[in-house]
Amino acid sequence: MKILPTFLLAPAALALGGICSALTPGFAPTGFLDDDEEDEAAVAEEVEEEEGPHWLLLEGGDIFTGTGAVLRGADLLSKDGIIEEIGYDFWVPEDAERIDCSGLRLYPGMVALSATSRVTQGSFAPAGEVEQPGYDPSLDVPAEDGVDIWDFDAIDAAAAMTEAESRIAEAYDPFSTYLILTLAAGITTVEQSNAAVKLRRYEIKDVVMREGFLISLSYSTADSRRRTRADFALASTYLRDFRAWEEGGKDGDEPSKKGVNSSVLKILMGDGRAKFNADDRDELLAIARLAQEFGFRPVIEGCREGWVVADELGRAGATAIVSPRDRRWKDELQVADGGSSIENAAILHAAGVQVAVEPLSGSIDLGGIAGRDLLHLNIDAGFAIRGGLSEQAGLEAVTIVPARVMGVDHRVGSLEVGKDADVLVTDGDLLHYETFVQYAVVGGKLAYEKSEELFYAHIRPLPEREVVEASQEGDVEVEDADDEGDDEDGDDDGDEDEDEDED
Amino acid sequence: MILSTVTIGSLAWLAPPAAEPVPDLLALRVGRAETISQGTIENAVILIDGGQIVIVGEDLPIERGIPIIDLPDAVVMPGFVNCRSRLGLDSRAGTVSDPEVRVSDEIYPRTSDWTDVLEYGVTTIGLYPPGRGIAGLAAAIRPKGDSVDELLLADDCYLTMYIGADRSAKKLVRDAFEEVDKYMEKVEKAREKWQKDQDKKKKDDEKEAFEPPVPEPEVLPMLKLRTQELRAQFSISKAADYLHLLDVLESEADVLYDIQIDLRDDLDLFYISDQLGEAHTRVICDPEIIDHPGTRRARNLPAELHAAGAKVAFIPRSDSVTGNRDWLEDVAHMVAYGLDRQVALRAMTLEPAEALNVGALVGSIEAGKAANLLIFDGDPFEAQTELTAVMLEGEIVHGELDQ
Repeated sequence: MKILPTFLLAPAALALGGICSALTPGFAPTGFLDDDEEDEAAVAEEVEEEEGPHWLLLEGGDIFTGTGAVLRGADLLSKDGIIEEIGYDFWVPEDAERIDCSGLRLYPGMVALSATSRVTQGSFAPAGEVEQPGYDPSLDVPAEDGVDIWDFDAIDAAAAMTEAESRIAEAYDPFSTYLILTLAAGITTVEQSNAAVKLRRYEIKDVVMREGFLISLSYSTADSRRRTRADFALASTYLRDFRAWEEGGKDGDEPSKKGVNSSVLKILMGDGRAKFNADDRDELLAIARLAQEFGFRPVIEGCREGWVVADELGRAGATAIVSPRDRRWKDELQVADGGSSIENAAILHAAGVQVAVEPLSGSIDLGGIAGRDLLHLNIDAGFAIRGGLSEQAGLEAVTIVPARVMGVDHRVGSLEVGKDADVLVTDGDLLHYETFVQYAVVGGKLAYEKSEELFYAHIRPLPEREVVEASQEGDVEVEDADDEGDDEDGDDDGDEDEDEDED
Repeated sequence: MILSTVTIGSLAWLAPPAAEPVPDLLALRVGRAETISQGTIENAVILIDGGQIVIVGEDLPIERGIPIIDLPDAVVMPGFVNCRSRLGLDSRAGTVSDPEVRVSDEIYPRTSDWTDVLEYGVTTIGLYPPGRGIAGLAAAIRPKGDSVDELLLADDCYLTMYIGADRSAKKLVRDAFEEVDKYMEKVEKAREKWQKDQDKKKKDDEKEAFEPPVPEPEVLPMLKLRTQELRAQFSISKAADYLHLLDVLESEADVLYDIQIDLRDDLDLFYISDQLGEAHTRVICDPEIIDHPGTRRARNLPAELHAAGAKVAFIPRSDSVTGNRDWLEDVAHMVAYGLDRQVALRAMTLEPAEALNVGALVGSIEAGKAANLLIFDGDPFEAQTELTAVMLEGEIVHGELDQ
């Protein structure tokens, strides 16, 4: 019904107007539609006609594309939120909004895993809407016979996480303080409740990029291992039989799908990734063996003792999500090496494991364990580098690797032509403690500007530089919002002195 | 019209047919009248007949025989309109979501609250139903009367709705409009059937008029929103809620609505003031200076909204008798902080009256409207000024006037 164009409804509504008045004689139609509202309609039409593509040019910065390449003093052009050009001396339309980035660096927006609803909703989810991990076997309805297994919509419908979109998108707050802080921390995409969310500001459309890609599995207890293994065995047998049946010209009966776990099937077919929460050496080994046996690439969150079994995990094609500042002693009864190690990320990476970094808290905490939350994702990656990880791998651990984990690496995680224009403009190395994000661009629109927001504007401010607005009314809300306040109270200077420091 | 002489004869036809035999004529000559609809008139003469304003103008000659109240130092303005209140109603009432609920069914005459606020100059009260989601239909009352009929000025004034960045709240509204779609389909089918029947009939047979099926009572208010016979009043609590409201109304371009929001410190409404201004949306809020998020920097959001082009209607900061008492003072505070005077006066009278869909009856000093007048002994926004008298439909209900 949402898609139903209004012009179809309008005549019907008009026709009904008569009926309605006839039914309720006491309620005469009143002159609601005064001149103002007619003007308003006219204005709305005009605006629609004017809209062309929105161009944004980030000029003259050192572009760290995230793929290893660095282009010094280069330009990046975005068209309607997609990167159109990266390089030198290309054609730029005259009406492009321009941001002078000379002396600054450009990085892909960081991607944070396991974020809480505070980032996207401005508050924690109300009771009764507690975030659920993606996969709960008890809720999973086995696919019925006769359902096309390539029809992923049908499989999604059967799985338990289809509500992520409505849960996140329908409650998205593009103005919340926590969102601004997250952007200030350099994060432009988060994973929340197994959905990839683009942190757009000033708008609520198209925030959920993908959902249900990660499928949480448990492999810790004997019982869960037995069950998960059985699921994989059955799904794998089914898939083999099905493919054989298909290749054999579909002779005979179609293999029965009875009892096959659709989520596991999705993993085996490569349309979802299995995610485990595991830290202990024996559990990591067991997962690595399961993955090698059935041929899938596991995502392992935690992975504290991964450095001990790194080669096994590397062979299994695993992705590890680690928190470099996590500290734990090894199990006293364990003879072999164990416990946490600052070298974890480096050793895993050297063994061929893809390493993503996440902070210890997926929230913005202004008390408690402040400093180890989303506000300092870059510092967490810095700790991994301190432990021996290369700088490039450290950058990838907070950009392209987590994007791959969520299945959105075709859109975010690096600066490449054709990808989303989610760009950070920083005043130094992104992973250095002194560096601040000066501008954050999300979907080709300026979403954060350090000098305009309360939080860090007063710390090491840069000399003023020019932001040239687009000739059409684009994203000038940042300036507008503040200017108005200043007009009213005449207190233009106050915000720098009066804010709270969040660290 | 302004130059015409005020005479008894010229007004004879204006007297309501069933009213008292003697026309209840009264002329009010005051130092200044804030008419709201026609700006400020110095040395204004207001002629009142049978509780209605008949004519307003500067220095109009008054025919002999008409009683005159001469108040050369007084300032007169229309009675305040409080468009959103639960005053005198059960505060513990229901929590259901039902569009067909009418607050008028809840009215119990003889509550003292209404006559109390009348003394403070509130001559029209908009009562809204309890509940959540789509809570039901509001009513406008005159705060004096012994029966519901006497009290009730207008019913079905607006549809009270709550919306926000919330899945269930959005779904509720979408589902309600879907019910209207279903009803429309039903009407269409009935019309087709009727058409067929008509075609079958021979020429001599009498033609029947088409009678659409009667909509369910809970569908009717939503239907009226689409046909603009009813306004909606959406309560929101932060800027993001407005974007979600626009999302819900994406395919309901015809719906007329006002926004109601309680102002509080750290409110982020300024992010959407331009959007509200561009759409000329009416924002119903309380007169309060708030702090910019994370700071102690004062913001006058109503003034910002007005500057952006939005309409502003005020309601008292607290929905109580004392809240209504302090209302004028609170609004004066907003004027002190930069809100335009006329906008402030309008935000207590005509804007709330229009939000209540009674803009044709009350809210300004204008011919044809009820003579709901407040007589002050000076500028209403000055602290020393006193409200000398309150007139409700031509009758002095509080204070005294020397004749």
